[in-house]
Amino acid sequence: MYLSLREDYLEAIQQFSEKNANPPHYEELAAALGKSESVVRSDMEDLVSSGDIAILPEGVITLTGKGKQTGESVIKKHETLQCFLSEILGMDSSTASDEACTLEHAVSDETIDRLGQLMVKQDGQWHHGLGRHGRQESTGRCMTGEEECQYPSISDCSEGENVIIHCIQGRACAKRLLDLGMVPGEHASIKRKLSNGALVVQVKGCDVALSPEIASAIGVERSP
Amino acid sequence: MKIALLGNPGAGKSLIFNQLTGLGIEVNRYPGSSVCLECGNVCYKKEKIEIVDLPGIYSLDGNSDEEMLVRKFLERAGADVIVAVLDATKLERSLYLFTQVTEFSPKLIVVVNMIDEAEHQGLIIDVDKLSSCLGVPVLLTAASEGRDIDRILPLALGSGRIATLQVPYDHHIEAALKSLEKTLRTPRYKSLLALQGTGEDHMLLDAAGAVAHEIELRHRMSVRQIIATNRHNLSRKIAAAAVRQGDRKKTYDLDSLLTRVFPGVPILIAILFFLLLSVFVIGSWMEGFIVASFTALVITPFTSLALPPLWDRIGFSMLIALQAGFGIAFPFIFTFYLGLSLLEDTGYLTRAAFLADRGMHRLGLHGEAIIPMVIGFGCTVPAVMSLRILKTRREQTIAAFLISMVPCSARTVVIAGIVAAFVGILWAFSIYIIVFILIIFTAVILSRITPGEQFGMIVEMSALRRPQVRLVLAKSWLRIKEFLFIAMPLLIITSIGLGLFQYFGLTDAFQQMVAPITITLLGLPAYASTALLFGIFRKELAFETLAVLAGTADLGSVMTAAQLYGFAIVSVLFIPCTSTIAVLYRQLGARITALISIYTVFLGLLIGAVINLLMK
Repeated sequence: MYLSLREDYLEAIQQFSEKNANPPHYEELAAALGKSESVVRSDMEDLVSSGDIAILPEGVITLTGKGKQTGESVIKKHETLQCFLSEILGMDSSTASDEACTLEHAVSDETIDRLGQLMVKQDGQWHHGLGRHGRQESTGRCMTGEEECQYPSISDCSEGENVIIHCIQGRACAKRLLDLGMVPGEHASIKRKLSNGALVVQVKGCDVALSPEIASAIGVERSP
Repeated sequence: MKIALLGNPGAGKSLIFNQLTGLGIEVNRYPGSSVCLECGNVCYKKEKIEIVDLPGIYSLDGNSDEEMLVRKFLERAGADVIVAVLDATKLERSLYLFTQVTEFSPKLIVVVNMIDEAEHQGLIIDVDKLSSCLGVPVLLTAASEGRDIDRILPLALGSGRIATLQVPYDHHIEAALKSLEKTLRTPRYKSLLALQGTGEDHMLLDAAGAVAHEIELRHRMSVRQIIATNRHNLSRKIAAAAVRQGDRKKTYDLDSLLTRVFPGVPILIAILFFLLLSVFVIGSWMEGFIVASFTALVITPFTSLALPPLWDRIGFSMLIALQAGFGIAFPFIFTFYLGLSLLEDTGYLTRAAFLADRGMHRLGLHGEAIIPMVIGFGCTVPAVMSLRILKTRREQTIAAFLISMVPCSARTVVIAGIVAAFVGILWAFSIYIIVFILIIFTAVILSRITPGEQFGMIVEMSALRRPQVRLVLAKSWLRIKEFLFIAMPLLIITSIGLGLFQYFGLTDAFQQMVAPITITLLGLPAYASTALLFGIFRKELAFETLAVLAGTADLGSVMTAAQLYGFAIVSVLFIPCTSTIAVLYRQLGARITALISIYTVFLGLLIGAVINLLMK
């Protein structure tokens, strides 16, 4: 089955389910797409085997998690493109919709994100494409906030150990650390550790002394 | 022609600068900043060439005074050719700054310095390869031996050229740079800065901020981190291509002694104690000599001129100020800075900061603050000026309070001249102990009440090396110059003011006004108040004035031991001198300066009263 055909089906099923609060039967889906029921039935078998949908007893078509995700993403692409074509480029809305139907299968997620953001910037009233990008204020230009660093901190390591730096959190994102070469992925070794947790770390052949509070914000992985 | 030296701190820039220019250094204070630019002139092929030593920095993106100064310098094309000084032993790290410099597209040559040290470590650097990677001529030098330093100027003047090297940034960053260039016509370096939130053009910052936000969401990394990582990766590639590790000679690692709590901390205490002791011994010996010869050669001839009384008074006050300035500045402060520069050039000071970090945390500070505090033992003025190495306002404020209380050379003169001479040497030490206890007490309180966040220490440990006599002297000279140009004029002006104060007979009125405090509260003779007042202008003046007013140099015969002890401690604690107040105002503003002044006056009177009660 063609990729675009699969996406069209998933999009239609998702749209129908959203609109009618119930998943479609074969005949309802065929009617919505303007296709014959027999064609739809054979195509549905393909989709079942690719794991996108499941057929319930009375011929009700439901999306699996994977199918739903694809369906939603295609709907979003469609809306964003249609909005861009009609509102920004000034095409009439039915042409825009047809055009969007073709483009939605080829366009990348990134382009859609950027188009979405572009429209938000142009004017607040277009809300398409905002779904994943509810605009939040930048969190202090440091590690982009929410996800915590899961790695143990460098101050938990002991003298003489070799580590790989994974993340730097909070205020310790000090430029100076970056300038001295403490960037994610960099190898470092601990040359000295005092009882209060102050460290001398060797990175890029230079020894750097760190206060305990700075060290505790650097997440590392022990390397052999 | 103008040439500028640019590089990381400790890459040997200053030594190269000194060897290129000889000792004819002038220090220019850059307008609107407290950072010094050192300039010097040389003659090469009958042409005058100006050489500028830019302050040592790690990056061009930051907002520290030094970084902003160098950035401005490059933006305005402040020099015809930039000599980028790299450290051969840390080539990869030094290249990070170099990759940033190329973005400003100046004419460049690269000097890879400390090649002797690199050879010692078995590092072999391929000059041709490095040169072709960077696209500029490369020269290997060893400034400590003077090796190939003479080739720098011909190379810089003859073949300096714009580097072909360009950092390949992450494609999102590159896209952002391109779109900013297209829409706003900003040059690459400016867009890069704007993406990191630095710059003055609001339109550019807004546009760049929005893009940066998108990039951050996509990468889950800050733009700064991405940019820094890209630059580091390029530096690593170049270093890997140009440097080969040969056989390493085994050397004993002194750090195994210096950076451990034991024996590191006892060594630190011993070094600081020895520094202060030698300053005290050498200083007082030289002071006696300078003061005596100045009196014999200048002051006596001047008084024998018998000018009209008013002019006599003004001239005399000026000469006394000069005498005191040189009598203290050279013997005590210069000796102190000689020792300090020696410690700095051996690389020991960064180890001291590391060890002191723990103790300093208790005081609401961190390791780096030990440097201004130690400088404060010499003179409070440069100590306050060095406060800018501390990163937050909170730390600067706390440290400013403490520095104002640290006994400087002038206060050492008071303690030595009054207590050590007439009461006893152990009593003199007890004053230091009381002052240190008060400093710790003040710090503990301040660390709780001062608003703001504490920032930790991130200090590169400088390599341990043998200090160069010439560089130590040059550095001490620069530091003493700060004293001469900032504190000295104030000394002379206040001294004249005081002379006039006495001339018009205002001292008696003042003494009567504050007599209740002096006599009842502190238990001192009435004239001591004038001595204390004069101490505000110059700390050691408290001692000299007291002797003059008491009518004898043998203070023990007119005041009791308790009175002398009380007087000394009050004048040590009592309000910083006018020069200190002036620099405090410049660095931290009126409010903090006023708070420090009021606090120290209050503390001085309180301790004086307590001693009066206890010793009566």
